[in-house]
Amino acid sequence: MSTFFEKLKAYSKPGYYEKFDYHWTMTIDLDRCTGCEACVVACQAENNLPIVGEKQFARSREIKWIRIERYWEGDYPDVKMGFIPMLCQHCDDAPCETACPVFATYHNQDGLNTQIYNRCIGTRTCAVYCPYDVRYFNWFTYTWDEPLEQQLNPDVTVREKGVMEKCTFCIQRIRIAKDNAKDDDRRRVRDGEVVPACVQSCPTEAMVFGDSNDPDARVTKMMKNPRGYTVLKELNTTPSIVYLKKAQS
Amino acid sequence: MFDHGQPSYAEVNKDVLSVMLVTGPRYWMLLGGTMSVAAIFFFMPWIYQLFVGVGAAGMNRNAVWGTYLSNFIFWIGLSHSGTLLSAVLHITNSQWRKSIYRSAEAMTLFSLMTAVLFVMVHLGRVWYVHWSFPIPNQMGLWPNFRSPLMFDVMAITTYLIASSIFIYMGSLPDFAAVRDASTGLRRRLYTIFSFGWRGTAREWHTLGWAYTFFAVFVIPLAVSVHSIVSWDFALSVVPGLHHTIFAPYFVCGAIFSGTAGIVTVMYCLRKFLNFERYIGQEHLDNLGKLLILLSMIWSYINILELFGSWYGGTSFELEALKFKLTGFYAPLYWEMILFCAFVPLLMFSRKIRLSWNKMLVVSILINIGMLTERFIIVATSQPRKFLPDAFGFYFPSWIEISITVGSFAIFATLFLIFIKCVPAISIYEVKETLKPLRRNA
Amino acid sequence: MAIVGTFACEEDFLAAAENLKSSGFDTISLLSPVPVQEAQDVLGLGKSPVRHFSLAGAIIGAFFGFGMCVVTALTFILPTGGRAIITVPPYLIITYEMTILMGVIFTLIGFHVVSELPAWRNRPYLPCANIDRFVVVVENAADSEAARAETIIREAGAVEIQHVEDSE
Ligand code: SF4
Ligand code: SF4
Repeated sequence: MSTFFEKLKAYSKPGYYEKFDYHWTMTIDLDRCTGCEACVVACQAENNLPIVGEKQFARSREIKWIRIERYWEGDYPDVKMGFIPMLCQHCDDAPCETACPVFATYHNQDGLNTQIYNRCIGTRTCAVYCPYDVRYFNWFTYTWDEPLEQQLNPDVTVREKGVMEKCTFCIQRIRIAKDNAKDDDRRRVRDGEVVPACVQSCPTEAMVFGDSNDPDARVTKMMKNPRGYTVLKELNTTPSIVYLKKAQS
Repeated sequence: MFDHGQPSYAEVNKDVLSVMLVTGPRYWMLLGGTMSVAAIFFFMPWIYQLFVGVGAAGMNRNAVWGTYLSNFIFWIGLSHSGTLLSAVLHITNSQWRKSIYRSAEAMTLFSLMTAVLFVMVHLGRVWYVHWSFPIPNQMGLWPNFRSPLMFDVMAITTYLIASSIFIYMGSLPDFAAVRDASTGLRRRLYTIFSFGWRGTAREWHTLGWAYTFFAVFVIPLAVSVHSIVSWDFALSVVPGLHHTIFAPYFVCGAIFSGTAGIVTVMYCLRKFLNFERYIGQEHLDNLGKLLILLSMIWSYINILELFGSWYGGTSFELEALKFKLTGFYAPLYWEMILFCAFVPLLMFSRKIRLSWNKMLVVSILINIGMLTERFIIVATSQPRKFLPDAFGFYFPSWIEISITVGSFAIFATLFLIFIKCVPAISIYEVKETLKPLRRNA
Repeated sequence: MAIVGTFACEEDFLAAAENLKSSGFDTISLLSPVPVQEAQDVLGLGKSPVRHFSLAGAIIGAFFGFGMCVVTALTFILPTGGRAIITVPPYLIITYEMTILMGVIFTLIGFHVVSELPAWRNRPYLPCANIDRFVVVVENAADSEAARAETIIREAGAVEIQHVEDSE
């Protein structure tokens, strides 16, 4: 009974997320991003993303957990093109999480916004509530033609029709790193030990990934860069991804 | 109230019960017709969609909500007038309520059921829908009571249960009348349904009290249900949906479309069930006045909504506003304004208000307008969220259109079954409005 | 044995009811096709106890609703959206709905308890009482009492008097 009241007291205020073991964070340097879309392909391969086909693509039903958004600045002939890789921001105050009636999406102890495919009933509310439009719905059960199913990643589930999915920060790699850390009797994962597929494949090293609870991590230092900003800050979603503005000459 | 002279007590019983007890071939043909339309237009596409996935509908990444959800709001809205109006008029002791409330409440119940069906059609994995109910389970997992959708589940379940009880208790004495007038299996069934009602002073007394309490519970419930439906939208951060005005906007729109729906249903009852004697011009007049009032409130809230978006002045809001007013769906938007804000003003004329045929047209136009209102809310907001890269477009597929058409057939089927199972007009309450059986009366 | 008197008009029916009551008949039932306020007054039915059920239901529902939210949230801690685990404002909405749901259900139970329905056994009843006749039933009357009751009913102007079996 006393534990019940302790719990009551502990959980009736927000802010428990400050006590997360890890706070996985990513920085993306837009000055370095060339829009090559290597990250898009890497994510596709790592996370068993289905290829929806031309017809569904034309109806904008593609599934790309990370996409490169293109923006133009200025008028012709003085046009500049900018890129923003857009993926789930793993918001600390995620609007998508409160929307789910069955807890299929929630915040885990690493500060990740997780999506539990088995629990999802497909109301698609989270996709409406996400201001970044980074949630993708499985409109059909997609299949892989032989022999392509051989290249599916065994660490990641293949999703069926009717469930929502989105970037997981490559949670399978985080799990492996944490397991290794435990096996080595180390207390924490070392900086640089977890590298998501998109970060790994970026040729210009525009993306840095790490634990922002660790003051010495590369990502923590990058976050302090004065060029840093978060997308749609005014919505107070407190994203875990910090973008670094293009340097002005 | 009685345009064609007062009926006697016995005639009321006869008129109302004959609708239930005498069934002609026309009824069976109509029932067969609506059932097959429901099967072909609603259930067959739905089964197809269950097999292939929700992709059979026209929704896409930018607009993950589509007509299924807009129809859900529409049907919930249609359900709003019946029970609410009946309860309010019961509390205020209005006499004109008594001959129309039973069918109005039935309308509530059946549009609610249709709305629930639309949630099922909408879901990606409807076979797991029980996870959204607080049922103890081996996983130890409960639904998320912080979610606006959970509010919906609770509110709609409550509404469904409460309005079923409300209509059932109101019909209890009439079930006894059916029992007395029938034989065989029907008599045995209605003996059970009527709980052995005899009409003793004690029973009337208890029913009166209980009924008033039901009415008191149902009024705040009905208001809360549509507010909660509006919060599904308003609690998101999406520009064009994130308005505090949404709850009153939805409630007012719901009562508006529900009242128009009552006029349509009244017309059919009068026409096809020969209730001319009981449903008269007084009802039409009152409902017409109510519709004018609601339409003006609705217009006012619409202006407020536009003003809010404009005054907010963020580029997101302005973009969403521009898309709504001038984008692809602008003709639909202006059609809605015409049907819901201007057409009802015609009812200021007494001639129109008292003519059944004209009122039928007006009421149907209002509901077409309200159907498009809900569609516009869903279809113009999501394709214009925040990031321009994710701007998109939504157009319903033939499956969605067919399911929409089929839902009307489902409603009609349920209603047709209802008029054969429950007296469509409250016998005892109509008697209360007649001259009492007194010597000097 | 039960005496069943049928009346065609309300005044006679009420007169019979009043006379019976004042001559000490307590087990009378007054059947009418529509609710008659005066008949309820004759039997001394004031405020119905149904209202206690409604109140109790609403209160139980409110506690149950809020309790359900809190307890289910605590049995499996799943943080969402940076909110507290026990988020009061949304839970109040659930509380509100449960208040109404329980209120309605308890009122229904109250109705059944107070009105003693369902009663599917045989009870003295005339179908015309549900159409346009008022019926007075005096139940469980001994023979001498029965004769007295019959006189009162006849004097009040009954159109028909029958003797039927008592309720089973
Ligand atoms: S970016 Fe969208 S999906 Fe990701 S946590 Fe934030 S709201 Fe949720
Ligand atoms: S972190 Fe992993 S899942 Fe997320 S976009 Fe990059 S590769 Fe895809």
